[in-house]
Amino acid sequence: MTPDHKGVDSCPNSRLRANDAPHMDRAQRGGAASMTLARLMTWLSPAFPVGSFSYSHGLEWEVETGRVKDAATLGGWIEDVLFHGAGRTDAIFLAEAWRAISAGDAVLLKEVAELAAAFAPSAERRLETLAQGAAFLAAVKAVWPHPAIDTLSAQEEIAYPIAVGACTAAHGLPLIATGQAFMQAFAANLVSAGVRLIPLGQTDGLRVIARLEPLIPRIVADALGAALDDVGGIAVMADIASMRHETQYTRLFRS
Amino acid sequence: MLQARSWLPRTEGSLRLGFVQGAGETRIGTLRQAGAVRVRFPRPAEGAAPEAVLLNTAGGLTGGDRIDIDVSLAAGCAATVTSAAAEKVYRSLGDATEIRAELQLGEAAACTWLPQPTILFDGANLDRRTQVHMAGSARLLAVEVLIFGRTAMGEDVRRGAIRDAWRVTRDGRLVFADATRVMGAVADALDRTATLDGARATAMVLYVASDAPARLDEIRALLDQVSSTAGVSTWNNILLVRAAARDSQELLHGLQPIMARLSGRPLPRVWQC
Repeated sequence: MTPDHKGVDSCPNSRLRANDAPHMDRAQRGGAASMTLARLMTWLSPAFPVGSFSYSHGLEWEVETGRVKDAATLGGWIEDVLFHGAGRTDAIFLAEAWRAISAGDAVLLKEVAELAAAFAPSAERRLETLAQGAAFLAAVKAVWPHPAIDTLSAQEEIAYPIAVGACTAAHGLPLIATGQAFMQAFAANLVSAGVRLIPLGQTDGLRVIARLEPLIPRIVADALGAALDDVGGIAVMADIASMRHETQYTRLFRS
Repeated sequence: MLQARSWLPRTEGSLRLGFVQGAGETRIGTLRQAGAVRVRFPRPAEGAAPEAVLLNTAGGLTGGDRIDIDVSLAAGCAATVTSAAAEKVYRSLGDATEIRAELQLGEAAACTWLPQPTILFDGANLDRRTQVHMAGSARLLAVEVLIFGRTAMGEDVRRGAIRDAWRVTRDGRLVFADATRVMGAVADALDRTATLDGARATAMVLYVASDAPARLDEIRALLDQVSSTAGVSTWNNILLVRAAARDSQELLHGLQPIMARLSGRPLPRVWQC
């Protein structure tokens, strides 16, 4: 194991972030920071085997009804889901799971995991979060095992933000960067779904990504300052869309 | 600021209502009512389950008011709980209007929880939590309707703080959680495409029972006939309907047949229009 690698993994039980740990010299901090970035880019890449490309979060139905029809309406819809729907709420779940693992608090971890699994608003949204959670956990356990995540049993229902929060905390990855990478991946996945469904050109898709860029840090900052009691939103139309999607005639996506 | 407001009258009310099984039928075992909460029991139809109708004698709620409702159904009991009128939540000067409802359902108990809509006024600060603890063989039908401003009167909820949380446990395990949460510029938030798309009325119909998955097709068929935007889904012996409409009239018109179908009998008189 290289010293740099150790820098990332050696502080799972504190809120210290690898890249601002005071005991490291400048070269060590640089190494830890780049390892953090590499790990987050891998774990939250669209290529990471959780199957994120197969979930549209109800967007497929919104495109079918014509309520989402171009780059402007796609950007607006994703903004709403981030602010008033699963985006902000999942970021709170992720942060609480991260804190639970960092503090070695098994009771809190169980509470937040149970709440996140019970919070799904429809059968397909439940599948979306639980299947990705299980796949993420299985992949990390297989390649980056860590005792702190061994207790997360495969039988338990682990929602996606819980799996990401727990694994990143176990491996000492910083919370803010993790939250931001998670939210960015979620938004980018919805943009990608929209590009395929509407369809939109790649450049228009990138314009939507650019529009969402400044919002994501704001939502993450808000979510990281929130408590478990603050979950919830008012993305009613998005929830209904995921229900209507169940009977949509032609479907590319599982949600 | 808190001290400056401390002279304001506060409404408080609580109800503890327990149904028990006696001589083969559901009877009232416990009844304690205090403050602004009163309960009436209209005589049920022959052979029908008892019906409790809650009344708020204060006529509406505002910041600092607090209502606690505690209803329990012992094993085998069946009862309907509803309310005599819509719950109005007025503008708050700062403090939250707190409503706590807790339902306990014993084995094979069947509870129909049908409070009338909650009407939110501009500046409302609502913090409501509804908790249901049910045995595995119990059955729950619960409805919750939120109206953001009386649109027919030209009213809207421009600003507010609305938190309305649900938790349902079955055999001690959390199986359903939901929270409506909209803070600050409420009307602006409700106008967004993925929120209420400009609608001002939204409802949740929650059915938790062993036959929940089997009810999906008939409820879907009923939803296809309504004009409001609505959907239904089922998982883990939970059936959830969610709907949104311009106003309460349109919303309730679509929901009433669904509520009646799931409860298996006509709706309480206060719900019929």
